[in-house]
Amino acid sequence: MKDFFKSSPFRVLLITIVVLLGLIIFTASAGGSFLAGLLGFVSSPMQGIATTVTENVTEFLDLDGMSKDELKSLINSLKDSNAQLQQKLADYESVKQENEQLKIQLDITSQRPENRSIAASVIGRDPNDVFSGFSIDKGTLEGISVGDPVITNRGLVGIVTQAYATTSKVSCLLSEDVKVAAVCIERQESGVITSNIMTASTGLLRFNYLSGDAVLEEGDIVTTSGAGGTYPEGILIGEVKSLEKAENDISKYAVVQPSEDISDVKDVFVIVSFPGKGEGQSGVDLSQQPEGGEDAE
Amino acid sequence: MRDFNRVIRFLAYVLELLVLFMLQETPGLLPMIFGVRPVLIFPAVITIAMFEDEVPAMAFGVVGGLFCDFGLSGIMGFHALVLAVLCFFVSILSRTYLQVNGVTAVITGIWTIGLVICAQWFFLYYFSYSMPEYAFVHHYLPKYFYTMIFVPLVYLLNRGLSQAVRVQEN
Repeated sequence: MKDFFKSSPFRVLLITIVVLLGLIIFTASAGGSFLAGLLGFVSSPMQGIATTVTENVTEFLDLDGMSKDELKSLINSLKDSNAQLQQKLADYESVKQENEQLKIQLDITSQRPENRSIAASVIGRDPNDVFSGFSIDKGTLEGISVGDPVITNRGLVGIVTQAYATTSKVSCLLSEDVKVAAVCIERQESGVITSNIMTASTGLLRFNYLSGDAVLEEGDIVTTSGAGGTYPEGILIGEVKSLEKAENDISKYAVVQPSEDISDVKDVFVIVSFPGKGEGQSGVDLSQQPEGGEDAE
Repeated sequence: MRDFNRVIRFLAYVLELLVLFMLQETPGLLPMIFGVRPVLIFPAVITIAMFEDEVPAMAFGVVGGLFCDFGLSGIMGFHALVLAVLCFFVSILSRTYLQVNGVTAVITGIWTIGLVICAQWFFLYYFSYSMPEYAFVHHYLPKYFYTMIFVPLVYLLNRGLSQAVRVQEN
């Protein structure tokens, strides 16, 4: 046993532990790292391909009930037609996807021309993320930075919490780290949209800090208020499902159904600039707060 | 020739880890059960450690852990540290006290992956978020059992890989 502690493998283990502890302390204090950027640079193209292949496999042909000869002749004829069409189809999928994204972007831009957004695709969802965060295929090279809001044509999805050169990480509304200043225009009630592990597991949100005499009804629309300057004003969040009394004080909270299915979103838009961005964020530096953004109420 | 085969084997392990990382990260590829998906990297590095010496085993623990850290977008180095230490001791145990087979692989997977998941819950969730008990029961435990399903499969893959290259070494 004494020899084991003097052995060279044990010394290598100790050195590795010290180096990794240094890495932990460095990334915990400085946010992102060169290493993470490098891993993203290597993995993001392959993640993109894997995601596309998975989507195509779900539309796989049902070949049951065909004989071997029929299949052979089918393959031969398909090879011929494939050779003819290959050239035309080379960029078809990417152009089609880009076209759909641009249509939605045009729709979003016409609704809010003052916001500048970038289309992106979801390329990864980590099984270790408790709150359904995801990776997108655009990063700082396209102008994305930490703290940019992420939306779809249906409404708010989350916020960029890590931005690397070619990829970014998004914490979604279901994350306990993300807090959004929100308002129900119809009822003139404002509060903060939050979540926890229990509401996240059911895909719902909490509209907290409503006044004790608040009267919200099922179906009332909740949008961002724009307070704090982290999110633009008027982005749809969801609709009220029920109104409850808070557990610890006299305020009330509403259970909100998000307008977008956050755990299954595929294409998103990152708002890189909007009027009032960063206003009222005194003391809140998102670059030093990798876990998520928080609007000051 | 022996060194060349070793390099080939190590490259194959790195490629395997990269592919498994892609599989676990790709949305919609592995079905969600009880709202969770498996972490394929954990059984991969643990079973690789059963076939390799301490230092290479630890190195693959670091590589796999860095992939997990990158995927989670948390603190870089946490999974790398936990998996490096575990793989180091799994390698020593496998070469000193254990006969490496399917049963010992599953038993090793039970305690090592259990430790990693508990470390995740304790260091990454317990001090940062609310309702840790709920999270443990509804997220970490299902993830643990779902991940355990892949231990025999990944063990067979790594045994095949290890034996195929070692036959050429002899």
